[in-house]
Amino acid sequence: MRLTRRRFLGGAAAAALGGAGIYELVDRLTPAPARPVAGPMPAEQHVFHLGTVESEGVEVLVPPLHSEIVTATLAVDDLRAAQHDLEDALAGLDAAYAPDPSGLGVTVAWGLPYFSERVTGPAKTHLPFDRRAGRSVLVPERRFPSDPHDTILERNDVAVLLRSDDLDHITAARKALFDELGIFHVTSMRRGFAGGGFSGKQSLPKKMAMAAGVPGADLIPDTAELFLGFTSTQKAGLGPGLIANHETLGFVDVRSGYFHGGTHMHLSHITEDLEAWYLNFDFDERVLTAFRPGLTQVKQGAQTVAQGPHDVSSRARLARQFEQTGRFGHSASIQSTSRLLQEVVGPDGTVYPRGTSIPQRADFNTLDNPFAYSADPDRDELSDEPVAGVHFVVFNPSGDDFERNRLAMDGVLPDGPKLQVGPRSRASGFNSVLTTTHRQNFLVPPRRHRSFPLAEL
Amino acid sequence: MRASIVAAVAALALAGLVPAASSAGAAGGCPAAWKSGWQALANRIQAPVYCPTWMPNPLDAKIGGDYIDIKSVSKDRSYLISFLEHGDAGSGDVHVNFRGYIGRTAIPTCTTVVLTGKKTIRGHTPCFADAAGTRTARGISATVYRVNQDADQWHILFAWRHKGSLYTISEHVIRPYTYRQVVKNLERMLAGLVLVRPEG
Repeated sequence: MRLTRRRFLGGAAAAALGGAGIYELVDRLTPAPARPVAGPMPAEQHVFHLGTVESEGVEVLVPPLHSEIVTATLAVDDLRAAQHDLEDALAGLDAAYAPDPSGLGVTVAWGLPYFSERVTGPAKTHLPFDRRAGRSVLVPERRFPSDPHDTILERNDVAVLLRSDDLDHITAARKALFDELGIFHVTSMRRGFAGGGFSGKQSLPKKMAMAAGVPGADLIPDTAELFLGFTSTQKAGLGPGLIANHETLGFVDVRSGYFHGGTHMHLSHITEDLEAWYLNFDFDERVLTAFRPGLTQVKQGAQTVAQGPHDVSSRARLARQFEQTGRFGHSASIQSTSRLLQEVVGPDGTVYPRGTSIPQRADFNTLDNPFAYSADPDRDELSDEPVAGVHFVVFNPSGDDFERNRLAMDGVLPDGPKLQVGPRSRASGFNSVLTTTHRQNFLVPPRRHRSFPLAEL
Repeated sequence: MRASIVAAVAALALAGLVPAASSAGAAGGCPAAWKSGWQALANRIQAPVYCPTWMPNPLDAKIGGDYIDIKSVSKDRSYLISFLEHGDAGSGDVHVNFRGYIGRTAIPTCTTVVLTGKKTIRGHTPCFADAAGTRTARGISATVYRVNQDADQWHILFAWRHKGSLYTISEHVIRPYTYRQVVKNLERMLAGLVLVRPEG
């Protein structure tokens, strides 16, 4: 019999658990990993130095143990005063915590409702423009072919991403920004965890899923970084350095330069059907589903499968393998749009070789259903029954760049043919075991303009 | 109505509050209420079959009884005997399969079909895959398979060999039974299997 979160809290562990509920187990179950000494505070809000370890011969980034996202609408009309108050609070957090997972990462992202309704005039002048797409970098939310028809497209003014190995740091930040300032109406809180298994011990997703009793928990490999069993934070699979900045790859016009050093953030919540994944796909099929057909040299039980620049699937190989097998892998389809087709030299002289990944992901597993808190529980279909899922967070240079990747995940390639398979077919990557409940796009300003961007103009 | 009663009883059984309802209580033999069907099967295929002495609530293992879903014997004498309780009112399903592949021990091959646009691509895959350890009881050493095809799709399956033949039991992972409970059910079924030999 499955435990609801309430029942779980009412059990033997209840006495030891506080307001953070089941997620407090993360602190108790897993010690914080060793972290490199933090460098100076980066100009970009989305850049967060994680440190790396080797996993099965592949260099992987060690994600923060805890992540939390708080979304909100504005509760004030005086934006300049609010800008001052929020920046003061953020600066206080900067002073209190190191800018790495041993301390705290804070990323403040702003949604289209904020720009279109609160700072309308300045936004028209200063928001970066995606020349390749012929539209703003911040585009309205949309559903994708494999999304359910009722995926909720959200309209929050702001989202704050908090990341740390220490839950207390996240709790303190949430209180400072949302409880004490009084400038936001909180619309949702979303919590989760990742990693913890690189030392060879049972990983957090496995422990947390087992503790919550979600269906399929027993089937997760013991050391899996995420519920679906494969390591997703290998260094070569994530965008390096400043590649996700608006300005780095050259297809975004940052216009006045106000948002130079900024990026686009997409946020979604996705449930994962673990039983379907582990009971209907054998290991070899999980490999070809997660990566690509024809990947036959992967050792049984492997979790970290190299996805460096030389392992990348081209569009030609993707199409050829689809023609032969009638299916495509999750990574291969996305790589057709998420990797550089040729070498690029960034404005700061950094060389990004062909095959380099562009998106910088910050996703984490969750047991939220779909959120830990919602101001509109009926609309969000809030439940206290834990469910396996992921709060997906990704930074791209523009909203269109994200959309290209997400469409490729459904077999829709830019300037190319659609791979003719049902968008939720088991032949189209992970899609048959994923269900997206919510989506929203945000713009992440550079750190210097993180608080109520454009309000001062 | 029946479904809700089944759900309630199953929930109690899962909580360990009541004994499983379908233990036929046979000491050392195929339960009398179920034996005729299994004996008839053994006689028909002229090979031993395994009769359970315990079934997960609410099923029984009476071939021709209330819960029989599939009774299939092929020309090559392989058989599939399936018992199902379908919870129409959302109480979940309980579904158990018994198979025998007489005179062969290899894992059978199943056909896969992928539809892409107007094209159909067929392939082959082992019917039982993702081995995850073994369970031993009553001299049977069974391999646990987690990914299975056709009538055993979404089931956990135990497979073992006996005198040149392959036998399996499997149960669907679906409410009210979790993966862990299904494995326990299969372990209990395995521990209660008795061989029924053909007569005459």
